[in-house]
Amino acid sequence: MNAAGSIVGTRAIGGCDPEAAICARGIVRDFEAGQSTIRVLHGIDCDIRPGEMTYIVGESGSGKTTLISIMCGILYPTAGEVRVFGTDIYKLSDSDLVRFRLHNIGFIFQQYNLIPSIDAAANAAVPLIAQGVPREEARERAKVLLERLNIGDQADKLPRQLSGGQQQRVAIARALVHAPRLVVCDEPTAALDASSGRRVMDLLREVAIAPDRACIIVTHDNRIFDLADRIIALEDGRITHDGTAMPDDH
Amino acid sequence: MLRNLSFSRQILPVAAVIGLLFAVYMIAIGLPDRSLAEPAEQPPKAVGALANAPRVAGAGVVEPASEVIDIGSALSGLVTEVRVRPGDKVAAGEVLFTVDARAARASLRQAEAAIGEARAAIAEASAAQATARQQLALYRSLADPAAVSRAEVIRAEGEEAAATSRLGLARARLAAAEAAAAAARTEIERLTVRAPIAGEILAVNIRPGEFVATQGGGNSQPFIQMGQTTPLHVRVDIDENEIARVALGQPAVVSPRGAAELHVSARFVRAEPQVVPKRSLTNSAAERVDVRVLQLIYELPPSDAFRVGQQIDAFIPARGKPKDAPRAQQGA
Amino acid sequence: MLWIAIRMLTGDAQKFYGLLFGIGFSTLLITQQMTIFINLIERGASGVFNAPEAQVWVMDPVSRTTDVSFPMPATALDKVRSVEGVEWAVPHLRAAANVRTKEGDLEGVAVIGVDDATLIGLPKRMVAGDKTVLFAPDSVVIDDVGTTRLFSDGGQALGERLELNDQRAVIRGIADAIPSFTSQVVLYTRYSNALNYVPGTRNRMTFVLAGVREGESPQAVAARIEKETGLKAQTHDEFARAGINFIIENTGIPTNFGITVFLGFVVGVAIVGLTFSLFLRDNIKQFGALKAIGVTNGKIVQMVAVQAGLVGLIGYALGVVGTVLFLKAFGGNPFFKGFYIPWQIPLISLAAVVVILAITGFIAIRSVLKTEPAAVFR
Repeated sequence: MNAAGSIVGTRAIGGCDPEAAICARGIVRDFEAGQSTIRVLHGIDCDIRPGEMTYIVGESGSGKTTLISIMCGILYPTAGEVRVFGTDIYKLSDSDLVRFRLHNIGFIFQQYNLIPSIDAAANAAVPLIAQGVPREEARERAKVLLERLNIGDQADKLPRQLSGGQQQRVAIARALVHAPRLVVCDEPTAALDASSGRRVMDLLREVAIAPDRACIIVTHDNRIFDLADRIIALEDGRITHDGTAMPDDH
Repeated sequence: MLRNLSFSRQILPVAAVIGLLFAVYMIAIGLPDRSLAEPAEQPPKAVGALANAPRVAGAGVVEPASEVIDIGSALSGLVTEVRVRPGDKVAAGEVLFTVDARAARASLRQAEAAIGEARAAIAEASAAQATARQQLALYRSLADPAAVSRAEVIRAEGEEAAATSRLGLARARLAAAEAAAAAARTEIERLTVRAPIAGEILAVNIRPGEFVATQGGGNSQPFIQMGQTTPLHVRVDIDENEIARVALGQPAVVSPRGAAELHVSARFVRAEPQVVPKRSLTNSAAERVDVRVLQLIYELPPSDAFRVGQQIDAFIPARGKPKDAPRAQQGA
Repeated sequence: MLWIAIRMLTGDAQKFYGLLFGIGFSTLLITQQMTIFINLIERGASGVFNAPEAQVWVMDPVSRTTDVSFPMPATALDKVRSVEGVEWAVPHLRAAANVRTKEGDLEGVAVIGVDDATLIGLPKRMVAGDKTVLFAPDSVVIDDVGTTRLFSDGGQALGERLELNDQRAVIRGIADAIPSFTSQVVLYTRYSNALNYVPGTRNRMTFVLAGVREGESPQAVAARIEKETGLKAQTHDEFARAGINFIIENTGIPTNFGITVFLGFVVGVAIVGLTFSLFLRDNIKQFGALKAIGVTNGKIVQMVAVQAGLVGLIGYALGVVGTVLFLKAFGGNPFFKGFYIPWQIPLISLAAVVVILAITGFIAIRSVLKTEPAAVFR
């Protein structure tokens, strides 16, 4: 791959690799905290390549959530630009940005955030429904995915009737049902024991990784670091490590 | 997809819509009928040419053309015979009722007896006078004065004078008796009450055996009421404020109370010269009214719809001129 | 998306029924109180509504309503009849009298004298008997609510003998009349009878009822009558309005009912506002997730609007049906006799419901719209 993708930190904003899934340059993000302003990200440059499972790791408060929010288009950076598959997403209008997310990004939230009053298939079908796909067709497509995730028989159950693992599979199905080019996954294993966590990560690797799809996983669960293709470590708003494996000092 | 019916998502909204339709229906049929209604019976109204012309309305009563005549009696006494009934048509002079005349007839018979007696006395006196005169003439025709004594002649002359004066007395008694008979006949005639004009008997308030008094009390009923009922007249009261507007001489449209759909045209007869306090036409005896009215008399055409004493509503044309100008402005 | 919104709403049964209760209760309170209010003040015009033939009411210039009136001289009738555009005019007497009942009680009644010949001035319908019974001597027709007051023991009114001003009066009919504001017993009789039943004053005729010639407007004719006779003339509608205004001006009813209606509105805003806010707050994570996934704010507003619409529809229906059933249930009570729901009132309460939902929905949705999609990652 292009060497530029692996270069750490200090490079000036400039030419992105056209093949990069995400190309972030000079990301700065400040938060207002009363009178003072806290700088959470100090000029992050980073590229995410498709076909890889990229981990973003770091302690609480290291800025990893802020970074991932900015990279997937739900939080405006104070400065810097983000290109997702060549599109400078923060130059889009608000509604174009929303539409861009709807068609290109799949989300798996830490608490799943499933809608409690609709069944698993409908929950999984939400992105399609939001795109305007007819309800039955969306359900059918979601069911196919649920079958692949081995919970096809739970399609008609409400989220509260499912176990935690099953709910997470529904959440994964929702993230993938519209075939996005970028999947963002927030702490997928936080609530699971070690073996379940590994099973989920195996499953993710099996269904989420595709040659033209990037997959970003935000986690601080060091039990699964060994499953990463690439790990970006963040500390106090700066990238401290970018490589295929985690250095031991982490 | 849940195939079973959801209460809150399907049944409830449908029930809500049905409930709303039910409510709309209930509200619609519950709305009160506040529409104005046409009067079921015809109220009196101006018709024909008067309907859209200036007019004056008045209320009135029907009366005979002669007005109502309350028949009285010249003498008091018991009623012996009533010859008419209400509704009878009578000619002028026809006997209406008679009052007990026995006393008058007795004095008539008395007078007739006196006449007979007087006539007899006249006959007797005439005979005596004739006898006396013959005797006297005989004595006078004797040439020999000594044939009859002077005393005899004086006696004969005295007899003749006495017979003559007796005859005069008897004649005077005859005249007196005849006068008495005439007086009795007049009395009898006065005890028979006759119709003063041709007309219709409207009311008979006496019956044989009742006493009629010449001094009628203030509120006593008249013995007999009659009047000329062909034609009938109506007496229409016009509010004094409207007098100036009335077109005198124009025919009026008259409807009887309770039969307002009947309209007849009545010919103007006259206006009473005096404006009088409005008489009660509202059946209340105690009514006191401070309104004065002009009374107009109209003649009704022949009709069965009107009876004497009936109340009527009348519409009379108004003089258009003074009120026309403001009305035209109002109409504009 | 919108069906998801409805699922979200009905999925939380507690809050869903809380919202229905809030809207339903507000609607019931507003609709029912306004209905009672309107019907109550319309009682002030019952005298006008009970004489449906009269297009124009002519009265002394100082008269204000059917019950606050000053009599006129008898010739006023002829004056009115003389006015152009008047089709017909009949006398009308309204006066107060005392009646001695069979039990010996004294009861204040309103005596209404209707035209002798045409009976214009009687209510449109009769409950018992025929209008023509008034042609019989000494007969009166009583109004149906008066029957319950005069014969509270449930006795038969027809044929009962009353004593009015030392005169005999026999009840021969019952009229289907709208009761007056005070639910006073009303006796209808012919004008000439009424003169005897009411102790005499100099002038007796309180009103002249007039009809208008075809092609003339009652307003124009009333104006002409006023101009030409110097009397006061009002159309049916104007005079009904005057009776209503009299009640409004002279009683505290509008204030009281206004307060209740306002309270209904406030209760609605409070219950619905709180519940709706709580409901949306509970679902704020889901809304945040939807926003992150790519649902626009416009769509979110639509979803909340659909939720509000469903709650509004069902709650409003509950309230309106409740009012209808309320009136139906109490229709037999003399106090509610003739009560109806004016069609405008449900529309007003509908507007109130829309306003309540708009206010509370707007407040509640602001928190949803303000939610940063990024919040879902925290």
